[in-house]
Amino acid sequence: MDTTFSQRSLGKPGFLSDLRAFWAVVHREWTIFMRYPSWIIALFIWPLIFPMMYILTARALSGPDGSGLAVFMQATGARDFIGYIIIGTTVWMWQNIVLWDVGFALRNEQMRGTLESNWLSPTWRFSYLLGHTGPQLVSMLLFITITALEFGFMFGVRLHGSPWMIGLMMLAAIPSIYGLGFAFASLVITVKEANAFVFLIRGLVMIFCGITFPVSLLPGWMQSIAQWMPQTYLIHGMRAAAFSNARIPELLPDLIPLLAFGMFWLVVGYFTFLWMERRARQTGAIGQY
Amino acid sequence: METNSLSQPSLGTQLRALYVIALKDWKVFWRYPLNAVSSVFQPIIWITPIYFMGKAFSTNGQALGFAAYSGSGDYMSFILLGTVLTNFVTTVFWGMGYALKNDMDAGVLESNWLTPVSRLLILVGRTLTSLLTTTITSLVMLVIAALLFGFKPTGNTLAAFLTAIPMLIGLYGFGFAFAGLVLLMREANTLVDVSSFLVQGLSGSTFPVQSLPTWLIPVALALPLTYGLDAVRGWLLQTNTILPIRVEIVILVVFMFVMLWFGAWIFDRVDRRVRTLGTLGQH
Repeated sequence: MDTTFSQRSLGKPGFLSDLRAFWAVVHREWTIFMRYPSWIIALFIWPLIFPMMYILTARALSGPDGSGLAVFMQATGARDFIGYIIIGTTVWMWQNIVLWDVGFALRNEQMRGTLESNWLSPTWRFSYLLGHTGPQLVSMLLFITITALEFGFMFGVRLHGSPWMIGLMMLAAIPSIYGLGFAFASLVITVKEANAFVFLIRGLVMIFCGITFPVSLLPGWMQSIAQWMPQTYLIHGMRAAAFSNARIPELLPDLIPLLAFGMFWLVVGYFTFLWMERRARQTGAIGQY
Repeated sequence: METNSLSQPSLGTQLRALYVIALKDWKVFWRYPLNAVSSVFQPIIWITPIYFMGKAFSTNGQALGFAAYSGSGDYMSFILLGTVLTNFVTTVFWGMGYALKNDMDAGVLESNWLTPVSRLLILVGRTLTSLLTTTITSLVMLVIAALLFGFKPTGNTLAAFLTAIPMLIGLYGFGFAFAGLVLLMREANTLVDVSSFLVQGLSGSTFPVQSLPTWLIPVALALPLTYGLDAVRGWLLQTNTILPIRVEIVILVVFMFVMLWFGAWIFDRVDRRVRTLGTLGQH
């Protein structure tokens, strides 16, 4: 009797199985998302209340006679200070939400104690992160649409440009925003308690990228740092597209660096993930928290 | 046969329980020292865009529009003081509601609830370490921010401090009611963030409420925190206050008693309900 066994993998990884794993993660995330319906409140309230602090402060700085506002319009070239602030704060919130959602995707698994068992399944491990991105993109699209509608209807913010050009700027920003999220997710698995890192990254966006003011107001050394952050180009380009009717040729100085940063962050994100995966298995730290 | 309680609660045991809860939180807080660094720099990061935005609204470094509302063109001192006070407000909101959610997630809420310690006391205990760490980090933050942006208090610091006390105690009442809501909803982040942001925003943490749109002013005036922030600024920065400072202090003291009673009542009712339904351990 032949008693030899051929070595076979328990699973048969392939494109379809990876796709199925990706879909399973999307489905699971959607189920968790729907389990806590308070996100509905968040979806409608956050776009209003986060920029509120800046808008109301800007209103106070304007003065009862609007004299401060005239100075602001001259300094920024903006027609509408609310719209100007909304673009900046929306970009900040986008990056912030991605850091919390995608950035903490693996960490949350680790805290729940399911990361090790998932890691043992014969699937493409990057699909765990990609799976988080799907529902996240849908909810972000919803978030940005609601922001635009709320400020359009309630505060009379009007576009003076093409929504397609705004969409183009946002599309060009996806690789850098999510690439940073992937790199961050991998880092979080290694350093565990990473809230402070989220605060640091979103803080850099808040300080350097001009969410409520023109970057030209920053001192020279701060402007140099701002040039290395993709969100600076996204905010600048979106403002130009929304309020100055800028077309592709005018947007190119923002689009090109944005795409270049996107390539960079996607590559960094993917390779950081591979590095973390190998390191976590070597050190046995994957189940620790 | 005489039945004896398994425990013998007394003032001493309650105080010991408070100490143990605070000590545990103290250890957890310093286990992640980056969080302490973050607590110092986080508020500075949030107000930096306002600092530069203020420059865009100023002529020759003077925020004249702001001065017309508040009586002081020194908008950074105005905002810094509001930021320090709202750090404490957030501590009470987060300290109780969020701690409950953490206990739920960690699966220790039910066992904590079984201890012979008043539940309100457990909630208060969860804020003690936060209050101490908030005091330390706020002072460090104020020193750094003073160097970066300038902070020039010119008034009565002791009077400002005494005025803040009834405001903070009253906020515990808010915190109790809010913790009850977290027990019911079983989700804390959105609730804590949204309510904390709304209350802080509308009470004028970074601007004088006089500058709000007319339809929002009644909402701001209905929040006792508005009078607390206004009175403390009035003492320290000598800004224009909404009402005479003495009237604002009376409002704060009344608010303190009413909210403590109301918050404890709400929490007690919710606590009984979730224990009746058996949903205390669910999350």
